[in-house]
Amino acid sequence: MPATARLYAEALSVAYARAPVLDHLSAEIPDGALTVIAGLNGCGKSTLLRSLDGKAIHRQRSRAVARKLAILPQSPAAPEGLTVRDLAARGRTPYQSALRQWSNQDAAAVEQALELTGMVSWAGRPLESLSGGQRQRAWIAMALAQDTEILLLDEPTTYLDLPHQIELLKLVQKLNRETGRTVAMVLHDINLAARFANHVLALKDGRVFCQGRPGEIVTETVMQSVFGLACRVIADPVHGAPYVIPL
Amino acid sequence: MIWTLRISSLSLQISRQGVLTGLGLGSVLLAAASLALTTGSYPLSLAQILGVLLGDGSPPQQMIVLDYQLPRILTALGAGAAFDPSGAMFQLMMRNPLAAPDVIGFNAGASCGALCAMILTGGMVLPGAIAGALLTAGAVTLLAWKDGLLPERLISRMDVLSAADMAQWLTGSLNARTWHDAELVWSGLAVLVPLSLWLHFPLTRLAMDDGIATSLGLPLTRLRLAVTATGILLGAAASGALIALLTDSAARALPMVQLPAGVFTALIGAPLLLWLLAAHVRNGAI
Repeated sequence: MPATARLYAEALSVAYARAPVLDHLSAEIPDGALTVIAGLNGCGKSTLLRSLDGKAIHRQRSRAVARKLAILPQSPAAPEGLTVRDLAARGRTPYQSALRQWSNQDAAAVEQALELTGMVSWAGRPLESLSGGQRQRAWIAMALAQDTEILLLDEPTTYLDLPHQIELLKLVQKLNRETGRTVAMVLHDINLAARFANHVLALKDGRVFCQGRPGEIVTETVMQSVFGLACRVIADPVHGAPYVIPL
Repeated sequence: MIWTLRISSLSLQISRQGVLTGLGLGSVLLAAASLALTTGSYPLSLAQILGVLLGDGSPPQQMIVLDYQLPRILTALGAGAAFDPSGAMFQLMMRNPLAAPDVIGFNAGASCGALCAMILTGGMVLPGAIAGALLTAGAVTLLAWKDGLLPERLISRMDVLSAADMAQWLTGSLNARTWHDAELVWSGLAVLVPLSLWLHFPLTRLAMDDGIATSLGLPLTRLRLAVTATGILLGAAASGALIALLTDSAARALPMVQLPAGVFTALIGAPLLLWLLAAHVRNGAI
């Protein structure tokens, strides 16, 4: 494997109740890049994301791994009444224990995460009182407080309206650029993927169909073979990224 | 409001609300215990009781306080002190504010064990309760185990077992409490309470989503097993002490000299059994 990727899968097979989801899949997540994993529903995107720490799903992950890699599942649940700051503080768990519940580094990391996500003024609010977009930013603050080099997001824009989707993806892009974190996320909207990602991994039937820069992957032929979608691809007049117009 | 205590690299977080609630409930408990001590068929004043505790007092006073009242109050306090962390841990683990050892059936197993031990040996209530709870827990865990321990599966399996064990409430007879029970409960607490405090920290993190807890590096299955084991032992100690205490006190409070304790366990157990059966019928399980 190339030295530029710390996160990769090699000949990975995963099955749920003997139904194969990933089939001898090999993939790498380039360091420092913003990677989007794309593909049809059920093609194994989320499974790949959750398998990327090298252990099977449902198995435990060690604290050492938790300090290197944070993964935000799709629409996670939190206990009622938990405030944004409390939630962000939970991200410090891999650095804590019953006898080391709150260090100065914990406090600093939480404040920094709240600042980066613009949640400082909402820090005292309970999660359920926030809008969907703010809530998702609070979860990202938690993942940031975990202080990992790698951040994995499973459909972070689910249930968000378009303005909030854009806002969230801009935040993720900012984190990727300013903090140098490697980010990989599952995203359904191929046009948003083409605009925000600098690496796209297209999955089909539990295997990597192709991967590369958005300009190489978001093409009429690939859309046809991966999604079965007849479309025309033009250059987005504002950002220059490929733009898919379904026929 | 959260206070952070720091001693070099060690740190603890304590909520002001928790401290205030603890102090408030502690004073209520103290008042209730004093009231229990100073009333009854042979009332003593607080001064007389204090005197006995300091080594004074007439032999009858000493007998009443040291042989009857004190062990019973300590057993009761121990039962409460064991039930509380047990319930709190199960609620957090199941992410269900209604989960508790009594709803879950562990202490139905404990009751069954306690009563079987009574019938077979004429004593040994607490060891019997603990054995009963452990057997129930083992059965529940085996039934719920599938690629690790998942809370939803655990709760549904425990529900089924509790109904079966409840029927065992209806038999049994008890002797008077002695210091033996108080000692057993409190020596159990000395081990289990620090353990449950230790588990509380990861458990509050586990109360989030499973995916999040995994991402945070928590060992989900190992933690759930540790919590279940500690919770069962606490619940067993509590219900063992409580069964002994309740049936004993009830038998004494009534004018008849010695009623079989089974009558009183039936008074408690029969409504619970009916309630459980009704719950099962509502859920379509029967």
